[in-house]
Amino acid sequence: MNCSDVRDSIESYITDDLSDTESAKVAAHLAACDGCATAYEETRALVAGLSGIAESFVPRERFVPERPYAPRPVGGWGWRIAAVAASILALLAISALSVPAIARELPLPLAREIDALEQTNETLKEQVDELTVRLETIGGVEVAIVDTAPGDVAPEVAEAVKTLAMDFVRAQYSGDLEALAAMGTQRLRADLTAHPEDYLRARDAAVVFAQMTEPVDAGDGTFLIFVRLSDSADWVDSQYQEDFEIKLIDGVYLVDFMGMDA
Amino acid sequence: MEDHELVRRAQSGDDRSFATLVRRHERTLYATAYAITRSQWDAADAVQDALTDAYLNITALRDPTRFAAWVSRIVVNRCNGLLRRRSRVVPLEEPPEPQAFVWDGPEDGIDLMRALQSLSPDHREVIALRYFRDLKVDDVAAVLGCPPGTVKSRINRALASLQATLSRDHSAQEV
Repeated sequence: MNCSDVRDSIESYITDDLSDTESAKVAAHLAACDGCATAYEETRALVAGLSGIAESFVPRERFVPERPYAPRPVGGWGWRIAAVAASILALLAISALSVPAIARELPLPLAREIDALEQTNETLKEQVDELTVRLETIGGVEVAIVDTAPGDVAPEVAEAVKTLAMDFVRAQYSGDLEALAAMGTQRLRADLTAHPEDYLRARDAAVVFAQMTEPVDAGDGTFLIFVRLSDSADWVDSQYQEDFEIKLIDGVYLVDFMGMDA
Repeated sequence: MEDHELVRRAQSGDDRSFATLVRRHERTLYATAYAITRSQWDAADAVQDALTDAYLNITALRDPTRFAAWVSRIVVNRCNGLLRRRSRVVPLEEPPEPQAFVWDGPEDGIDLMRALQSLSPDHREVIALRYFRDLKVDDVAAVLGCPPGTVKSRINRALASLQATLSRDHSAQEV
């Protein structure tokens, strides 16, 4: 190994990224060459200095990733909202019922959400009384409705949106792709054609509507509704969630987006 | 708990695990973004956007053991996108802006950071990924989309430039 080879290998030698054989060759050269030994010492000090300042930057404020909110860019908005809503509604379903008008506060900045989750228990205890949950009969089925946004939409609109979401879920479980297509917008139909497997559920399983939120008017002609579901005979709590974006087109409510969340 | 386990939990919807990942990586991500953008506020924007991207796309990370490189790549892309959109020049003579971060490092670390800022963008990027993010050469190569050999030679040249800058600064101070 000559000096040029050694100089090229010094950094890898310091960071222990050479093979044993190569490392031994570099060590032998450094022991015999003052110039390379000096270069090695300088580089070692420099690398140590750089590594030593990696953790020196303490943000004065915690990072708060902003979630872009309406108006909705085509195709990119629904799942972002759904991602936030999923964790919140799961929280509602699992822990208790809390956070009034939570849908109105979407999207929550990440840090705030994280901080809120870190204090979940205390917050829930304080707020549990502020939210009402009522049993409502929709299409002959009794469902727990969470008043996340009470009064946000007219009662007849709320009922139409809730009914559509439930009918959509039933069609998913009966494997009826034609019915799903008939309940969807052009956008949803295109997705349904491309990925039918994303829409179909366990055929003829006994679906349980565990909870639904009150529909929210997103302000651009879209209504959001989140439905927690179970199809297990051992049901103790909801198993998963479907997030819907529903639009009123030519007097008919249609599903524009459906996403599944844990 | 190791990163890959936290990633798996975050992918299952556990926001606390994602929060832990953020706390664990934010300082070095910030240092990396600052080295690349040379502006604290641009760095803060880039890291903030990158963490949002990471949060929303965490399920897309197929190999949880690759989180460090994956999130580094998102930060680098965000920084470069930001730099492309801006033509702002940050005077090198100025010390780090005091507003966006608190310096919790050694006194001479600020000199080192200043010297780092005088390097070319390619060299700043590779130094930050290698030593701030502590990535292996192969991971740096994956982040930057170039061969490992290129990364190695770039690191060597960057260290040589940095050494020369520090020596020059040191000589100037003595005069």
